[in-house]
Amino acid sequence: MGRIVVTGIGIITAIGEVLSEHRTALMNGKSGIGKAHFLRSKYIEKQPLGEIKMATAALAEKLNVTNASATRTDLIAFYAVQQAIADACLSEAVLSDAATALVGASTVGGMCLTDEMYADANLPDQSASPYLQSYSNSANTLFLQQQLGIGGIVNTFNTACSSSANAIMYGARLIKNGLAKKVIAGGVDSLSKYTINGFNALMILSDKPCRPFDAGRKGLNLGEGAAFLVLEKEEDAAGKNIYAAVTGYGNSNDAFHASATSADGEGPFLCMQRALEVAGLKPGDIDFINAHGTATENNDETESVAMLRLFEKVPAFASTKSYTGHTLGAAGAVEAVYSILGLQNQEIYPSLNFEEPIASTMQVPVRKYKKTHLRHVMSNSFGFGGNCTSLVFSKI
Amino acid sequence: MYIHQHTCISPQQTNGLIQLEEISISADGKLLAKEPVLEGVPPAMLRRMSKAVRMGIGTGLPLLKNNVADGIIIGTANGGMEDCIIFLNQIVDYEEGLLAPAAFVQSTPNAIAGQLSLITKNRGYNATHVHNGLAFENALLDAQMLISGHSHKSYLVGGVDEISSYNYNIDCLAGWYSKIKTNKHLYTDKTPATIAGEGAAMFIVNGSPVNALAQIKAVSLFHSTDPGTVVGRFKDFIAEWAPVADNTIFLSGENGDLRQTPLYESCEEVFGSAIPVARFKHVTGEYPTASSFALWLACYALKEQNLPPHFYKNEHNLSQVDRIIIYNQYQGMQHSFIFVTQ
Repeated sequence: MGRIVVTGIGIITAIGEVLSEHRTALMNGKSGIGKAHFLRSKYIEKQPLGEIKMATAALAEKLNVTNASATRTDLIAFYAVQQAIADACLSEAVLSDAATALVGASTVGGMCLTDEMYADANLPDQSASPYLQSYSNSANTLFLQQQLGIGGIVNTFNTACSSSANAIMYGARLIKNGLAKKVIAGGVDSLSKYTINGFNALMILSDKPCRPFDAGRKGLNLGEGAAFLVLEKEEDAAGKNIYAAVTGYGNSNDAFHASATSADGEGPFLCMQRALEVAGLKPGDIDFINAHGTATENNDETESVAMLRLFEKVPAFASTKSYTGHTLGAAGAVEAVYSILGLQNQEIYPSLNFEEPIASTMQVPVRKYKKTHLRHVMSNSFGFGGNCTSLVFSKI
Repeated sequence: MYIHQHTCISPQQTNGLIQLEEISISADGKLLAKEPVLEGVPPAMLRRMSKAVRMGIGTGLPLLKNNVADGIIIGTANGGMEDCIIFLNQIVDYEEGLLAPAAFVQSTPNAIAGQLSLITKNRGYNATHVHNGLAFENALLDAQMLISGHSHKSYLVGGVDEISSYNYNIDCLAGWYSKIKTNKHLYTDKTPATIAGEGAAMFIVNGSPVNALAQIKAVSLFHSTDPGTVVGRFKDFIAEWAPVADNTIFLSGENGDLRQTPLYESCEEVFGSAIPVARFKHVTGEYPTASSFALWLACYALKEQNLPPHFYKNEHNLSQVDRIIIYNQYQGMQHSFIFVTQ
């Protein structure tokens, strides 16, 4: 069977609303992390965030959505999905075909409406909000299904911060197994009181712009975003613009701790190794790694350990979370897009805010934009619950 | 794909000694799962677990102890939602003050698959599907794809959901649940709501037919609010997978919500009167992954070669059970067909 290729991309994060804006920001090292304007939380004064520069109402208007139950998460997802569909020229007839699948991912889902959900769940005698069907993790995928009339398999992953990497993996496997011909796969998360308070309670939020892989890193910045890819077989994509091929995917569990990675990085090591196996590649074939690189004390060190274990010579690597913040359930898909952009344009985008390597691993991320030859790029995503996933994208 | 072992925690006696002749009666519109004592879980861990996580561990752990699994695949709509509401309440009640992170960490739906892998040190494939009424069906498809071409690999696949204050209050407000309906009159009390339920069912599946309990021949899932589309898809499914209706039970997810009954009835009519119809929501109540119980019940019917009379919708003269076709749908929108055989 021929390769599975990416023929459509849609993405929205703090650094852009269309694909070209993302590339410009990445080439120029321009971060989208700063003071949030639209989120209501007392932490916006203390925590820099990667917020999308558009109010929820403006998003709804731009998308022509009048449905009162649509949440910010739903709208961001719809925004990205519409771009991906237009990019891949999927007609309404194709969308409603039983061979067209939609695989979404989210960790926050409708919980971005923290206060509304509090009222609906605790005070059921008061009048209900319009959001009763909007709180679940799958609400945003169901919203997209209804808007687009998807006729095939529809699914939502929640494996915490590796959710949308798994959605892309599942989408590729649906095609490989003949369960779908075209797949729209990706993920979404919006900023919420819920996650800010959660990560704050874990004391892994940085009050300064995050510094992935730096010895002085103080934690992560939260961000929001959505990204979706259109996947299909190479032989079905004749005449279309093909961005890259999805050649590898690997999934593992670290089986160590609910919210931290093991010191030897076993889970990350295994998922990277399995992704190489599926791709039929050797470690030396990987030219660049878009690291998970959250800038927490735990992640960056254990991810470095895992890379040192797997690669004789660690490939060039960087973390784009220094641009977007950690977009949680969307991160795997957002970073898949940035990996594909690099491959397509044969260039590497630098990690920001790095000064000094971690003493125990001494790994230095790419610090300057450069043109280079890229054949295969790996993208890592690790989450709470020990869930680890790596994807490999290859040049067409 | 073949089922080799299974476990089930439900509102009935389905764990350990199985007794389905006499059934437990619902109270306040709910059927609560009967939980066994959990063995092999550290007490500190147990104390922090929500009921969904406990049911997931209670069904998954015994299977993982007896089998080497290449991965853990869970379908759950709400997973750790009880912890979610605990943390949510703290945020609002303490006005975003200093909070303890325990409930936040436990609130992610992947807590069940994560805890199972943590306890058994399973570093294999690990996935959590949360697509509401089709979360379990996607878990089955996931396993089926992993096994395809790798028939020696075994996976733990399961469905788990609890009645949490979060989902129960919200679903009541949305009109899905009635507090006065009972499971005794579930199918005759024709009102636009049903009763809430919960449970967990887990399966060890692989590609080997040797000593298998059942074979899952096909899983189909889709979204539609159009009855014509549903029946059309059902006819296509039957034509492709189950053209012979001898010794076959149609296991229906009918739940007494009069808005949804016509969907089930129009699929029944596809067979004419040729096939016995069995129902199960009066023993489980409604929940997004109730189809995992239906699959467990299908395995039970294949083993026992029958079901107790209260499951049957009508008179039947079935003396042998070779095939079971499950149709379940959730909230009039998410539909699935599962075909199970000897």
